[in-house]
Amino acid sequence: MESPLDFVLSLSDRLHEVSSGLTGFVGDLITEIDEKVDRIPAHLNEYGYDPWGYNPAVLKRFILPAAFLYRYYFRCRTTGLENLPEGRVLLIGNHAGQVAFDGLMVMAACVLEAAPPRLARGMGEYWLGTLPFLSVLMDRTGSAVGTRQTGVDMLEQGECVMAFPEGVHGMNKLYSDAYKLMEFGLGFMRLALQTHAPIVPVSIVGSEEQNPGIANLEGVANLLGMPSFPITLTFPWLGPLGMMPLPVRYHIEFGPPLLFDGDPEDEDDVIEAKVDEVKAALQHQLDRGRKNRRSIFF
Amino acid sequence: MPKLLITGIAGGLGRLVAKMALKRWEVIGVDRAPWPSAPDGVVVHQFDMRKRRFEDVFRTERPEAVVHLAFVRHFRSDPATRHEINVEGTKHLLEHCAEYGVRQLVVVSSSYVYGALANNARYMNEDHPLNASRTFPEIRDLCEVEGLVGTFLWRYPEIATSILRPVNTLGHSVHNSIGNYVKVPLVPTVMGFNPMMQFLHAEDLAEAVNVALEKKIRGVYNVAGPGAVPLACALEAIGRPHFSIPDLVAYTVISALFGLGIYRFPPGAIDFIKYPCTISDRRFRDATGFRARHTLAEIFASVAP
Repeated sequence: MESPLDFVLSLSDRLHEVSSGLTGFVGDLITEIDEKVDRIPAHLNEYGYDPWGYNPAVLKRFILPAAFLYRYYFRCRTTGLENLPEGRVLLIGNHAGQVAFDGLMVMAACVLEAAPPRLARGMGEYWLGTLPFLSVLMDRTGSAVGTRQTGVDMLEQGECVMAFPEGVHGMNKLYSDAYKLMEFGLGFMRLALQTHAPIVPVSIVGSEEQNPGIANLEGVANLLGMPSFPITLTFPWLGPLGMMPLPVRYHIEFGPPLLFDGDPEDEDDVIEAKVDEVKAALQHQLDRGRKNRRSIFF
Repeated sequence: MPKLLITGIAGGLGRLVAKMALKRWEVIGVDRAPWPSAPDGVVVHQFDMRKRRFEDVFRTERPEAVVHLAFVRHFRSDPATRHEINVEGTKHLLEHCAEYGVRQLVVVSSSYVYGALANNARYMNEDHPLNASRTFPEIRDLCEVEGLVGTFLWRYPEIATSILRPVNTLGHSVHNSIGNYVKVPLVPTVMGFNPMMQFLHAEDLAEAVNVALEKKIRGVYNVAGPGAVPLACALEAIGRPHFSIPDLVAYTVISALFGLGIYRFPPGAIDFIKYPCTISDRRFRDATGFRARHTLAEIFASVAP
């Protein structure tokens, strides 16, 4: 029996088949993705899965629409990828835009533009693990529910882990708070200290304007068991279509790696001081990125 | 040769453990069921562990080591009987071990005690809380058994007691819940969920038990196999067709069928084919050097139709 997930992936497959004979840009993009995904360092077993459920065959199909968004919709301008060290690394980004296109674009940047290509493995909300189809897709494309143990294991295996320490408070913030970093969770710093992983701040400029938040109905969110229920210019008025982002241009910057030393089990205020350094570096990148862009859309 | 007592010796795993242990031990077994083809050198006492005669075995045989496998792991029988055998049975066994000078004890629990929850860490270690009873009351007795053995571990430091928590164990001669699940001609799965699952060959689990005896380890240890694959991938490798049903339907239908005694898969077990329950065996490997010999392909072939 075919599930909706299989259906979506099979559509991507059709596209794959139809276009594999093409010499046009779609065919080229598919060839490029295939070649780059194959070069991502990974620990796969004889069935093609890594211990956390990542499967390159699924990623190839999933990253195709993401690559279209990356190149032709958000027209991402990515800089600083030379700052991405080999082996274990923790990417820390600012979260915005109601729907996590920012995470998807960082993922696409790491596959399409990093040398060698890397798999940015997102650490998701607990809530995502309860969702049918999406939770499976999350696992197959390399992400996971963000527990400390998973983060430690992945980093120790030399993986590239991506986290947005603002969580939903960043993603679903109101437009009046745009580009103001919300409170950071401390977990990522303990993770970095425990595994001696360098932290690369990743600033994303553009995401705040893709779907500006007007209000957040916490009551409705609680009722639906969701982490938040944002109201935007288009959502929920246009239904799921209202989650469509505006065609803003993304500017993604990978900053120089930051290394921290210390006891991962230190008191919160000791950890917080280190977190503030990361936050300051990220805020600095964000401010510079905003100053340098000429327009939201171009 | 020193004496080894195996409870539940006539079960699939008990037989494998006994055959492997014969090289180093004089093997005595207790089971309600017979083992007609028991190899030479294995003495099988056929009676219920809840009977007084169980203590006589300890008194007369004076085993140096005990492997405790006599658990009811299926859900066919009356829950009260299951609880009595698993919890009371273990309590008596522990008392006898302390009283009759047993030096070593290995109890085979299960990784299921951690529970399958959406926000479980992947590859949980032994310190993780035993959350199974939150969603799966039918195996609460296994968590209680762990509590009893844990207390015993602490009270009798001179006895090398270990609890093994193996992952999904498959083997053609082993009958357990996961084995029954994958042997249905058309296997139901939950729509939109396809968790990573670890598998272990029954022979490797038997070997792990023997290694635990040999190395005289103390403490709680996860035992994992060669790796993990998504459930659907495992079913395809085994060669079983499967179909998915929405979880609401699955819970309703399976609760009804289980209530009527038609299908022996309790509704709480659905979470294990929906959410991940993967464990890390680093401590066991560090303590014993154990490595599963059988590959995933061999494990799946052992239960292929």
